[in-house]
Amino acid sequence: MDIFIQQILNGLSIASVITLIAIGVTLIFGLTGIINFAHGEFLMIGGIVTWLAVSAGLGFPLAVVLAILAVGLMGYILERGLFRFTLERPTNGFIVSLGLIVVLQHVVVLFWNPNQKSIPRPLTTVWEVGGVRIASVRVMVIAITIAVVALSFRMITASRYGRALRASVEDRDTAALMGIPVRRYITGVFVLGSALAGLGGALLIALFPITPFTGGTMVMKGFAVALIGGLGNIYGAVAAGLILGIVEGFSAGYGFSQWTDAYSFALMILVLIVRPHGLFGGTSGPRMAS
Amino acid sequence: MTEGLHQDRAGCGLKALRSLLPVLVILALIALVPLFSPSNRFLSLAISAGINVIALYGLSVLFGQTGILSMGHAALVGVGAYAAAILARDFGVGFWAALPAAALASAAFAMIVGIPSLRVGGHHFVIMTFAFGQLLAIVLTNGGDYTGAATGLDLAGPVTLFGADMSDLTRYYLMVVAFVTTAAVASWAIINSSYGRTLRAIRENEKLAASLGINVGRHKIGAFVVSGIFAGISGVLLAYFLGHISPSQFSSFPSIYLALMVMIGGARLIEGPLAGGILVAFLPEVLNLDPVQSRIVYGVCLIAVIMLLPDGLIGGVVRALRAALSGKPKPETQQRNATPSEARR
Amino acid sequence: MSPILAINGLSKQFGGVTALAGVDLAIEEGEILGVVGPNGSGKTTLFNVVTGVHRPSGGTVLFRGQDITGLKPHAISRAGIGYTFQQAMAFAGLGVLENVRIAGEHVGTDSTANPWPTPQALLDFVGLSAVANEKAGVLPFGSLRLLGLALALATRPSLLLLDEPAAGLNDRETTALVGLVRQLPGHGISVCVIDHDMKLMQMLCRRLAVLDFGSKISDGPTEAVLADPKVLEVYLGGDL
Repeated sequence: MDIFIQQILNGLSIASVITLIAIGVTLIFGLTGIINFAHGEFLMIGGIVTWLAVSAGLGFPLAVVLAILAVGLMGYILERGLFRFTLERPTNGFIVSLGLIVVLQHVVVLFWNPNQKSIPRPLTTVWEVGGVRIASVRVMVIAITIAVVALSFRMITASRYGRALRASVEDRDTAALMGIPVRRYITGVFVLGSALAGLGGALLIALFPITPFTGGTMVMKGFAVALIGGLGNIYGAVAAGLILGIVEGFSAGYGFSQWTDAYSFALMILVLIVRPHGLFGGTSGPRMAS
Repeated sequence: MTEGLHQDRAGCGLKALRSLLPVLVILALIALVPLFSPSNRFLSLAISAGINVIALYGLSVLFGQTGILSMGHAALVGVGAYAAAILARDFGVGFWAALPAAALASAAFAMIVGIPSLRVGGHHFVIMTFAFGQLLAIVLTNGGDYTGAATGLDLAGPVTLFGADMSDLTRYYLMVVAFVTTAAVASWAIINSSYGRTLRAIRENEKLAASLGINVGRHKIGAFVVSGIFAGISGVLLAYFLGHISPSQFSSFPSIYLALMVMIGGARLIEGPLAGGILVAFLPEVLNLDPVQSRIVYGVCLIAVIMLLPDGLIGGVVRALRAALSGKPKPETQQRNATPSEARR
Repeated sequence: MSPILAINGLSKQFGGVTALAGVDLAIEEGEILGVVGPNGSGKTTLFNVVTGVHRPSGGTVLFRGQDITGLKPHAISRAGIGYTFQQAMAFAGLGVLENVRIAGEHVGTDSTANPWPTPQALLDFVGLSAVANEKAGVLPFGSLRLLGLALALATRPSLLLLDEPAAGLNDRETTALVGLVRQLPGHGISVCVIDHDMKLMQMLCRRLAVLDFGSKISDGPTEAVLADPKVLEVYLGGDL
């Protein structure tokens, strides 16, 4: 039982990072129709920035802030410099993101070699509660994710900007007709999604060592979660992230850990065949203006 | 009336034949390379490139003609490679007998990957093909002794043709050139047949295609099967060339690279796969780049091609040449998947 | 003579909404029938159910006495029913001639003599020979509609369903289209036009059927239907 709770906790802490990716890709898709596969590399770069900052003697909290800012800035530059030009042809945006994967991975390898990078755990305390060993760093990751997700929800549901954003995701053209500056929202969502990936990278390296190639599997799982929940549906992404965390925790707890990675993909394929728009219903992306 | 029809058919055939000619000339020149006693390194690179090109011709049928973007193509190559290795190990099946068997295995796997395309469309399906590739790699890694787990399988069978040992690098090179030629001709035949027109109709507009009596679902899966056959043959050639295969060669990243190669070359043109495969293999060599730099250049090239040359490199060059010859630029008359939006804004 | 297409009690529900409430309709061999009705009357649903886009909730469709209810769109076409869409549609990225050639390569039945044995002959008929080598995507809208008609004819139909064939056309283009469609019965092709444009219908059809709220409210010779009080009520102050 204690092992079991520990595994669920482990599963949820990784699922937190994946959910942060999933929210980013789902928002970007909802508004632009672009499948940004390089989002995993954004996460990886967030981890690398954290590693650089901590290695330079900065504290972890400051490193996290730097990672968020750096990756957010990168998202801004890439949206203005590249993705902006692919809005009318989302497939091009997707292909460009594949090119970006290759470029970003190998730029990191070029400067900082392909080896694993790790930082000392920012929190080393391990609590013993009724025989269950709980690593505080995992609790921290889950708590930060819950706080950030709750904050995002509040922004999206309660603020004027959030309503405009949801309207734009629902129907970009009508939103534009209603005077919502959709272009600026697209840039904003790219920056927000990138910043979340930066945070995810910082949290990931607090849990595990990372390599320049970590992004690949993580983004696949991020998309699996986003698609299971329904692409474009933020609530769905969070719910699916929770489901995946528990499933992966279970599988590790019961000795099928070598198949852990397979669950998200198999689950995604099954869900899509049964419900092509995900468990909680998604959008098909913006209708293209003719 | 009938006469007119025949004239038209003949004219069409001639025009189509002319489109194959450049590829055949280039391949003939490539086949002459051993006369200049190239280095072993050159031959190895060329063989790898050729094996990729065969798979790319399959991908071009799927993506270029049918318009289905698959990010699981390397997995199909992997099925062919593992089929060859397992057949050799467990049943003593040699190279030539493995070819049809592996092609069949890859085609069957391609069919499984293709079936969800009937229900799941667009971007969702693209991501699904990724997942299939990753799943295959996971299954191969967890397959224990049967698939050799993460270390993979060895394959040390001789390849003979009419009693001659083809394992020698130059001979294997010539054999791969012959296979590439076959793949190019097969791909050309598909493009210029009524089957090719059917696939293009599906690419352009599924609803309209169905209204004209085309069984869209069956032909989509058929296109997957065709691409699987090319991939399976490419896999057998790869397994016998390398002598060792492992799961990581066939996961989703190699699939991305294959998709990028076909897009760099141009997926719709008969020259595209050949150009893409050769460029990606030899450009780093020509520019004297190390592997890491070459990957960066590769990614930047792809982004540039997508943003600037919607028909791929070859399409772009051809259009530029035509424009230069006729003295006036031919306007881009159609909206394509890969049209930079900036031109229209 | 038995009708070429017999629709019996055809109904279709979307969730709780009834789009078709048991429609009976017969299309006679060699006629041009018009199906009219205001927006939301079920015209397009009728078209979609007959052409296999939607499965009907009830009722049958018999084509030349054979049950074709619920067949897939491509099977409907192969059975000998051609149809064109409301949105003029052609394969934009392919050549005009290639468009027509593709359309003629999946013919299910070729028992009857073909009035247009080659793609060129069809392009001559609709007047697009001059642009045979252009990409369909560059054609002006009116030509695109004509190409759509050519594509449907290339499938060798004995019944042609046209969904708002003149939408977006100017008067001159409409007249040209009407001239073409009128010739079709002479080539052994029965026609059913679905539209709400009464002017077009009066030009084309001797018989009209009127749909309203998913039911047929009138059916008969054009003049009689136009004088029917029920029809006048539906169209009160409208297109008439």
